[in-house]
Amino acid sequence: MSITGAAGYLGRRAAQKERVRILYRTALKDALNWAVHRHLFYQDASELREKFEANRHVEDLDAIDRLIDDTEAHFRNFQHPDPYIVPWAPGGSKFTRNPPPPEGIEIVYDYGKEE
Amino acid sequence: MAAALRPAILRHLRIPAQAQSLTMDRSAPILSSLVNRIRSMSSHGDEHLTHEEVVDRVLDVVKCFPKVDPSKVTPHVHFQKDLGLDSLDTVEIVIALEEEFKLEIPDMEADKIDSCPLAIEYISNHPMAV
Repeated sequence: MSITGAAGYLGRRAAQKERVRILYRTALKDALNWAVHRHLFYQDASELREKFEANRHVEDLDAIDRLIDDTEAHFRNFQHPDPYIVPWAPGGSKFTRNPPPPEGIEIVYDYGKEE
Repeated sequence: MAAALRPAILRHLRIPAQAQSLTMDRSAPILSSLVNRIRSMSSHGDEHLTHEEVVDRVLDVVKCFPKVDPSKVTPHVHFQKDLGLDSLDTVEIVIALEEEFKLEIPDMEADKIDSCPLAIEYISNHPMAV
């Protein structure tokens, strides 16, 4: 194999590995979104992991790409409509609610006791 | 140019919150205690995690991972090279860390975290880590 061929192969492998990691991450988080209780999530998570492990030793680059495409399409279809987002993070229920007052301004809470 | 400078400046910029509260202590102790009480009830924690606390909790999370031998875990380990995990295990650890510190890490940034030093640095620099 020529140098450029080897570099191209490695680059494609690296890109595929990154795609799989991010796909696994989104799928795992989505499994947690769909699970009503934590103990149900554990079962889903290990099944998800088994599905990924089943294709661990696929060597053919095109086959890998096809598998990733299929799985990404599958998880796009089954995305949770209202995923859990940490409350203060963008999209969360507390995001930009009740921001801290600007620097140099103090609020004194002495309800009804002021003159 | 400015975009390149910004992270470098932000990394070194620290607001001296501690010094300010000390001077307040000397001049008006009552006001200071009032301010502290209000802050302790606020949901925006002004109290940031200390570095030691972050290290302890990150190591606890990593040690609790089923495939990890707890005796091998130090603040300097690389998940794949030193602990013998694979890339999917790393993804699981990062999600566990997100849950531990109540963070929402963007996918591309979470993908870069592959060792304890990186995780500790990311979390201790995160303004909202709890």
